[in-house]
Amino acid sequence: MKIQNVRHTADLGLKLESRTLKKLFCDGVLGMSNILKGGICQENVRFDKKIRIEIRSLDYTCLLIDFLSEILSVSFSDKSVFCKVDILHLNEKHIIADIIGTSIDRYDEEIKAVTYHEAHVRKNSKNNWETNIIFDI
Amino acid sequence: MRKVHKEHIVKLQDYLWEIPVSFRDDMRVPGHILAIEEILDNILDDRSLNQLVNVASLPGIKKASMVMPDVHEGYGFPIGGVAATLYPDGVISPGGIGYDINCGVRLLTSRLNLKDTNEFIESLSKEMYAQIPSGMGKGGFIKLTYKEIDKVLSNGAKWAINKRYGIENDLEFIESNGQLEGADPTKVSEMAKKRGLDQLGTIGSGNHFVEVDYVDEIYDASIANAYGLHTGQLVVLIHTGSRGLGHQVATDYIRLMMGAMEKYNIKIPDRELACVPFNSIEGQQYFSAMCAAANYAWCNRQVISWEARKAFQKIFGHENGSLDIMYDVAHNIAKKETHMVDDNECEVIVHRKGATRAFGPGFEELPSKYINVGQPVIIPGSMGTCSYVLSGTARSHELTFGSCCHGAGRRMSRTAVKKLVNAPVLKEKLREKGIFVEAGSFKGIAEEAPMAYKDVNLVVETVCISGIARKIAKLKPLAVVKG
Repeated sequence: MKIQNVRHTADLGLKLESRTLKKLFCDGVLGMSNILKGGICQENVRFDKKIRIEIRSLDYTCLLIDFLSEILSVSFSDKSVFCKVDILHLNEKHIIADIIGTSIDRYDEEIKAVTYHEAHVRKNSKNNWETNIIFDI
Repeated sequence: MRKVHKEHIVKLQDYLWEIPVSFRDDMRVPGHILAIEEILDNILDDRSLNQLVNVASLPGIKKASMVMPDVHEGYGFPIGGVAATLYPDGVISPGGIGYDINCGVRLLTSRLNLKDTNEFIESLSKEMYAQIPSGMGKGGFIKLTYKEIDKVLSNGAKWAINKRYGIENDLEFIESNGQLEGADPTKVSEMAKKRGLDQLGTIGSGNHFVEVDYVDEIYDASIANAYGLHTGQLVVLIHTGSRGLGHQVATDYIRLMMGAMEKYNIKIPDRELACVPFNSIEGQQYFSAMCAAANYAWCNRQVISWEARKAFQKIFGHENGSLDIMYDVAHNIAKKETHMVDDNECEVIVHRKGATRAFGPGFEELPSKYINVGQPVIIPGSMGTCSYVLSGTARSHELTFGSCCHGAGRRMSRTAVKKLVNAPVLKEKLREKGIFVEAGSFKGIAEEAPMAYKDVNLVVETVCISGIARKIAKLKPLAVVKG
């Protein structure tokens, strides 16, 4: 798993590289949650919130962005951060997953949106799955 | 995609450059860059101009895809861009408005002068910070019900006036009187409403702020007088938008349009340009939801004004601490307007993403005090530098669909600037210059350091040289409240 920051003039970006597609989706959530609240996913906190998310979309790229957008919305509306993902079903246009997280009082960063800009889920030459994700801050 | 280099750009005027339609096969109109050469050279450093070219490919776009001198790279549309599409069947694109629908600025004027109030500025900055909720995901003191938020979405700033967070006279000094008529709360998702229930009266984070400034210099005494501005006067500058509600509306509809584009045979070079014909079902639904989110933003800035008024009155007393709205203007919005295109009067949907409406004298929506001098255009600079009040002109209608720049324009990423700036040192340096910064985190201060932005003076010089706006007053900061 590799989660690197990508520079963008106005916003924040991540470059994700993971061995499997499921892992890429989980790493996307982890990367986003660590922007929302730095280090929380590594902390010894009680992850006692579990929410089921189901998304249908056009392709893997849109599916990942729509999945992260949904988790972002749930995070802000429930004042929570989600770190663990249990993917129950995943194909090119459909995902069902349980996301597990914890309530927080304050965020480090307020992400306005997960954008489709520069996102492209694909296999690279190392046979890993990768994509960039640009967040509107 | 082929990158735009300087040799692809044709100089039309000292302040106006063109990327011809021959640059790329899918361009329907040329790309216009409003910039003096020094600014153009900076703009070429990022990918804004490729994004300008992408926008030029949108169905129904008229005259030119345009960027202002404060342009910088966005995602899909460049930030600092203007695109007008033909009404009713040209496209509407949520990316051309941005995720922060009706992000905008409002300037409040006081009866106070710096020379009489200097010793109170530090306590004023602390009181402003106490009164105005700022920061990441922080809620405000108003807790709306779902029934009540629908009234906010329909009525905009008027909802706040009805609840006594302002006076009736305030509405005259807000773009569109703080209420877009096309708003339909039923087109706003429950998730968006949920995110908006507790965020009225909050500024959020990022580049949003509330500042106490003073008028440092007046350039046009007659227009400044009409706007109620004079040298040394304390004023309050508010910069924020529709918060989580607007972000959710944009997210919902970009996703919807992504799935609908195939039906309309629309192909785009970047998914963030997702769009549908304005008169399609999806286009109309989005426009109604966008108007509702814009109304939420005007209501938000109205409640923040009430909080600023409370802070001023606590420090300076009820009468001396009163604040009037000079003007409130959106810089992330789409509006149906009438403009001249190829010598014909034409109804168009003007997308302004990081661009300010800048209508000249005679525009009937303007307050009667301003109708002969043109619409105020408020240009916030970076923290610790200066901001400007300009006035719109007839020339802006000819050149930029009645639009102008919206700020200094970012030039460095947040990550890059954080590596270069020591926030506690910067805060102390600003304090030595007489600028008190109150922020929820040092990170927020570092990300918004002046070095992250272009020189606002050059940006303003460009728009004034081009004639799309006139320079009226320069403001300098005294106290800054940030998220």
